[in-house]
Amino acid sequence: MSTLALKGPYWVTVRQYRRTLWLTGALVLLTLAVIGGLRIWNAQVPDVYMEDGYWRPADDGSSYHMLRGAMEQFSVGMVLIPFLVGVFVAGPLIAREFESGTYRLSLTQSLTPVAWLRAKLLTATAVAVGTTLLLTAIYLIGWGGVSGTWQFNWADRGPYEITGTALVSYVLLAVAVGALVGQLIRRALLAMAVTGGIVGLVMLVLSSFRWDFLPVRTVTGPAVANASTITVPGDSLIVEQGLIGVSGQRLPGWFCSPDAPAAHCRPGEDITAQYVDYHPESHYWPTQLIETGILLALAALAAFAAFRVLRARHP
Amino acid sequence: MTKDDIALEADLLGKRYGGRRGRGWALRECDFALPAGRICALVGPNGAGKSTLLALAAGLLRPTEGTIGAPAREDLAYVAQDKPLHPRLSVADTLRMGRELNPGRWDSALAERIVEGGGFSSDTLVHHLSGGQRTRVALALALGKRPGLLLLDEPMADLDPLARHQLMGVLMADAAEHGTTVVMSSHILTELEGACDHLLLLHGGRVRLDGAVDELLAAHTLLTGPVADLAPHTVVESRTTGRQLTALIRHEGPVEGPWETSEPSLEDLLLAHLRTTEGAPA
Repeated sequence: MSTLALKGPYWVTVRQYRRTLWLTGALVLLTLAVIGGLRIWNAQVPDVYMEDGYWRPADDGSSYHMLRGAMEQFSVGMVLIPFLVGVFVAGPLIAREFESGTYRLSLTQSLTPVAWLRAKLLTATAVAVGTTLLLTAIYLIGWGGVSGTWQFNWADRGPYEITGTALVSYVLLAVAVGALVGQLIRRALLAMAVTGGIVGLVMLVLSSFRWDFLPVRTVTGPAVANASTITVPGDSLIVEQGLIGVSGQRLPGWFCSPDAPAAHCRPGEDITAQYVDYHPESHYWPTQLIETGILLALAALAAFAAFRVLRARHP
Repeated sequence: MTKDDIALEADLLGKRYGGRRGRGWALRECDFALPAGRICALVGPNGAGKSTLLALAAGLLRPTEGTIGAPAREDLAYVAQDKPLHPRLSVADTLRMGRELNPGRWDSALAERIVEGGGFSSDTLVHHLSGGQRTRVALALALGKRPGLLLLDEPMADLDPLARHQLMGVLMADAAEHGTTVVMSSHILTELEGACDHLLLLHGGRVRLDGAVDELLAAHTLLTGPVADLAPHTVVESRTTGRQLTALIRHEGPVEGPWETSEPSLEDLLLAHLRTTEGAPA
């Protein structure tokens, strides 16, 4: 196996966790088989032209629906990768060495504590990032069949992280946080729980605020009866929409159509216009890069702290 | 004696666990210098600080105060009391790990010879080994590194008498051949007799006795006879049965009096010092 080319602590790390590595490889292959298979099946079923410009799949969409279902699960699974990586690094990779006392074996060989931790973290990072990239490639195979549909837009949770640089950055953050927490809490289970919590918290906070990184674009339009809804460029992410009163204040509500119930039109107020705040698709990469920058800065901070803790404790 | 002849040296060494309000001092004001090439027995009751001293010497702990002078990480080997090994590696992989992590100094022939005496296949996973077999693998890993200083914490506790005898033989022959300094903590007094030429007795975190075994034995006298004042000698332990006195003393000058005297055995000396509470903090 590839372990033949590895030397020193890298060989030890790979050998120690070889079962995890085999399992990871098997999972990647299984994913490739499922997504690749469904995608090929879907591509072989031609759409048939109905009328008025509508197409429908020849098999009533069963291949398409299976691909969609698999891709929905895959999206969730991919977003969970940083948790798994963080939990693995914090628990089995670091804290368990302290909990079971094997660090006394590792740290009394002819290598420095820094070289020991570096070998563990570099191996974990290489495997985690490599696996994430492979799975992303497989995701993109399936993505071709579903992109642009509901839940598979560029700004949707899942596709947003996976198709950009965010997911790999979360993986790097997870490795660094795991390394720090695993040393501070030398109990495997507790360290795993705390690391999962921290990664989850960062993910939650950033996913809540990522669409505030860049200012939204706004379009306004008339809100008179019989006016149509205002349109934004296709594939935009609509952040907020509402009505504008006479004094210019924004009011919640929807466009007043003649058929709409009166309550929707705020009859007590004079509405002059309606507005839509949105992010155009061109905001995708700037947002990705800002989020990636934040994550990499946090990861660097955690990694620095992890090595500081190690050096403070082990001469 | 020059600095080069000292394998392990402690200077007002102290270690306290758990910060200011922690469990208190495990070691305090330890001062000793162990000459190179000695086989040193580290003895003391439970909680005396033996394991702490060995972990400090191995560089796994930082001293709270004072210093400890030990060889560089490359030149020392340490076997902790619970013989930590990676449970998911096979015995062969464990030895390969020794080679990978000690490039340029690993002695595979020696390590394999020690493991071969254990009667288990080298494909066995460490996690399936018995306690004695683990000890054997841990010792192979420590000796294969060819250390100048070998630190062993209760090395033989899990071995049956036959394996203990055999492994002690391998250990002693190897140490003699390469001039390795060995520091070995043990509860088994018979294991130390005949094997060790240096003694370090810890009690309550302090060094109570430190020196070459023959010098220590020569400095003590075991006497029996009528009850009488033993001054100017220092009494380590004394017992009276009726009019009969049995005492172990550290003599100051020749022992003159109505007593029968003899040189104590190492076991007599250790037991007397371990039993006595004289000068020991609570």
